[in-house]
Amino acid sequence: MSSERNNRPVEIEEVVYATHSSHCGGGCLLKLHVRDGIVTRIETDDGEEPQYRACLRGRAYRQRVYAPDRLLYPMKRVGNRGEGKFKRISWDEALDTLARELSRVKQTYGPAAILFKWSGGDTSVLHNAMCHYKVLNMMGGCSDVWGTFSFDGGLFAELATYGTVDTGNTRDDLLHSRLIIMWGWDPANTIQNTNTAWYLAQARKAGIRIVSIDPRYTDSTAIFADQWIPIIPGTDAAMLIAMAFVIVSENLHDQKFLDTYTIGFDQFKHYILGTEDSIPKTPAWAEAISGVPASTIESLAREYATTKPAALIAGIGPGRTAYGEQYHRAAMALAAMTGNVGIHGGSSGGRSWPTAGPIAYFSFGRGPRSPRNPVEYDAPPRKNAIPSRGIAMRRGQVNVAKMSDAILKGRAGGYPTDYKLLYLVDTNYPNQYLNINKAVQALKALEFVVAFEQFMTAGARFADILLPTVTSVEKNDIALDGATGFYGYMNKAIDPVGESRSHMAICIDLAARLGIADYNDKTEDEWLREMVAGSNDIADYDTFKRDGIHKLRLPEPHVAFKQQIADLANNPFYTPSGKIEIYSQQLADMNDPQIPPIPKYIETWESRNDPLAEKYPLQLVTTHFKRRAHSQYDNLPWLRELQTQAIWISSSDARARGIKDGDTVRVFNDRGETVIPARLTERIMPGVVDIPQGAWYDPDDKGIDRGGCCNVLTKDEHSPGGAYCSNTTLVQVEKA
Amino acid sequence: MQLAFFFDQTRCTGCYTCVVACKDWHDVPAGPASWMRVATIERGKYPHPFVAFLSTPCYHCAEPACVPACPVDAISKRHQDGIVVADGDACLGKDTCQLCLEACPYQAPQFGAEDNAKMQKCDLCLERWAEGKQPICVAGCPMRALDAGPLEELEAKYGQVSQAVGLTHNDKLRPSVVFKPKPEVSTLRR
Repeated sequence: MSSERNNRPVEIEEVVYATHSSHCGGGCLLKLHVRDGIVTRIETDDGEEPQYRACLRGRAYRQRVYAPDRLLYPMKRVGNRGEGKFKRISWDEALDTLARELSRVKQTYGPAAILFKWSGGDTSVLHNAMCHYKVLNMMGGCSDVWGTFSFDGGLFAELATYGTVDTGNTRDDLLHSRLIIMWGWDPANTIQNTNTAWYLAQARKAGIRIVSIDPRYTDSTAIFADQWIPIIPGTDAAMLIAMAFVIVSENLHDQKFLDTYTIGFDQFKHYILGTEDSIPKTPAWAEAISGVPASTIESLAREYATTKPAALIAGIGPGRTAYGEQYHRAAMALAAMTGNVGIHGGSSGGRSWPTAGPIAYFSFGRGPRSPRNPVEYDAPPRKNAIPSRGIAMRRGQVNVAKMSDAILKGRAGGYPTDYKLLYLVDTNYPNQYLNINKAVQALKALEFVVAFEQFMTAGARFADILLPTVTSVEKNDIALDGATGFYGYMNKAIDPVGESRSHMAICIDLAARLGIADYNDKTEDEWLREMVAGSNDIADYDTFKRDGIHKLRLPEPHVAFKQQIADLANNPFYTPSGKIEIYSQQLADMNDPQIPPIPKYIETWESRNDPLAEKYPLQLVTTHFKRRAHSQYDNLPWLRELQTQAIWISSSDARARGIKDGDTVRVFNDRGETVIPARLTERIMPGVVDIPQGAWYDPDDKGIDRGGCCNVLTKDEHSPGGAYCSNTTLVQVEKA
Repeated sequence: MQLAFFFDQTRCTGCYTCVVACKDWHDVPAGPASWMRVATIERGKYPHPFVAFLSTPCYHCAEPACVPACPVDAISKRHQDGIVVADGDACLGKDTCQLCLEACPYQAPQFGAEDNAKMQKCDLCLERWAEGKQPICVAGCPMRALDAGPLEELEAKYGQVSQAVGLTHNDKLRPSVVFKPKPEVSTLRR
């Protein structure tokens, strides 16, 4: 960036309207001041409310574009894999090498030996990982993995209960609530749609009561909540089920709603009351498990059942546990028991962050289509998959949590194939993957690794060929967001920095090298126009492009399942029964005691009661950090100086270990170790520690992480429903 | 006329957007100088913690302590709008002086990391007022927790509370700021 900028008048700058989009959970308007092809400063939305104001990450975008560790040209590895030694090469050499390796691996081992893995990156509709997926599928397919890092416990639970993942309301509907329960939900940090925290501030101002259940006194709790209920991680389902016990025992449930719209409440009742297993799920039962006093559970249950409408917002962090789907299923059952589904001010109890927003009201044209992936579509359906709206999801046979294990063991370990080539797009493997030390072994076992990245991340260092991609402001694209509905036009403000290129431009060249003649027949502009032409919301492409944002003006807040509640006969739920399935025959048919047909509390492995807790007595949670979006933005100086990457530890746990605030500590278990400063706080439940996820893995010569990366500690396991278990980990902390 | 800030402490989530927007707009590099800062105030004991955030720019005091403290008259208060401005060229530099920083109870005078850095500080985005725009921190706050304008107008709109959690009003300097402070109670109720 230029320090002499302030000496020049502002008037000669061009201002380009663009949408900021990263994997941050939001999308905001940026007004980029550009002079001589350089972004010089940034403003945000000052137009009509709701304004989509960018947070600190969007405001730091200038440092992202011009970061010193930005990848500027293609490189090939010259040292050992992971050593981070590279040599600059031309695009021709890089793509020739990649095409040659893809062809070699496909011919030698078959297409399944190519493992494709991508993440959200700078989420947008055109220049994304699907450009690459299309190339690979047109050349014969590739292996894929299933499961998200974020919320597969929630997805599984939603599909079982409602038959759809479209379970969310728009955020403005929170203002119709009389009670908001933030269950493990911290939108001040996780964003979960632009303006969500702003709506909560308005709810608080309007006198709507807000309760927070969380092991941490989060920033959202501090600013929005009237009450904080600390809870032991992994035990949320127990507390929810005990609330159900109170509601049933005191006859506070909405029997008419249950009779009309649900099936299986009686089976759930048998479990709750203990007629099924002789264990009544009383508040006292849940207190012993969750650490929440029985009287607190009782009063919240009564309050939730008698304050209508009430929005139980089930955060997705508690779902990233060993039986995360049970927590989500229990939250949905409670929402149904209290008749809060499908009404303004209520909530279905679904995930706090709906997959694509309320899909129901979006209308948008399709972009480039990839042919079906023969490797995955021709494979037998994976175990325990639930159809979405009647359609089976066919994407990968191996859960993302087991990716490293699958690479290491292949067929011999019971996996579908032996993996030889890893194709990484916008994903920080191993940084954001469970059990990094196993992931590093997996990376070293592969024949070839290609990575498409913007920066020299912890993961980029493991590539054989490393290819530089553009940031959001160096290409035209479109982003959209559901729960605070808008479309954002991401105008190209500057030319690509260095030799970086867009995903689409790269893939066109790669496809040609692979002999795929009909890969693409449209320019960037033609694709974007075609997509917008398919939208009923956006009248004019050029106006949209000029304004940078199209705000959806819905006549009233969108509420999931409103039609079903208004007229069930004509609008059945998407489940096999057409009703909300508190009891799911689909789950019963899986015949797996770990996937009960009704929501149940199942104690996690690595709980406080695990014998392993004698050695590793602290429960680790891995939360979001304000100054990052997962591992994105960790390299920007303006952001790094705001918050120190440190482990939150309660003052009592610290005192017992002779640890003072700011001391360097070792955090370790059998899987790995990280060395990190300690931050003593009264804001976390004793017995729980928190390392904000996303810091870049930085091993020393003994393999001990010095970067504060939580995933050297996490276990590479998923729940029976597919949840990424990043919040089920036991550790010990000692002074370094 | 005196321009002033308003800060709603009941809705600030400590997101630091004001800090970064300011650094970007005024081209202040990463390092010790930050015209806008956000403090986290934590009190109480588990399970009754208390947390509040305080955004701290320069409050452009009615009687700024930094102005008379400066031995070379490098700091002045504009009489048309009360904005306190620094003349970096005239400043003696941090290795030599720092009397302004010692005088200010709010750490408004800021110094970069370079040798004998000259004082720099919040100028309330005076060039943006000329364009009819609010300061960059105010215009960017995702929580709409900040406002700025003539002190009398802000007092008429938001009341006359002149202190907040983490900041005690200074009767002598009279900082030009109005607050909606966060009530000092724990939110835990069992």
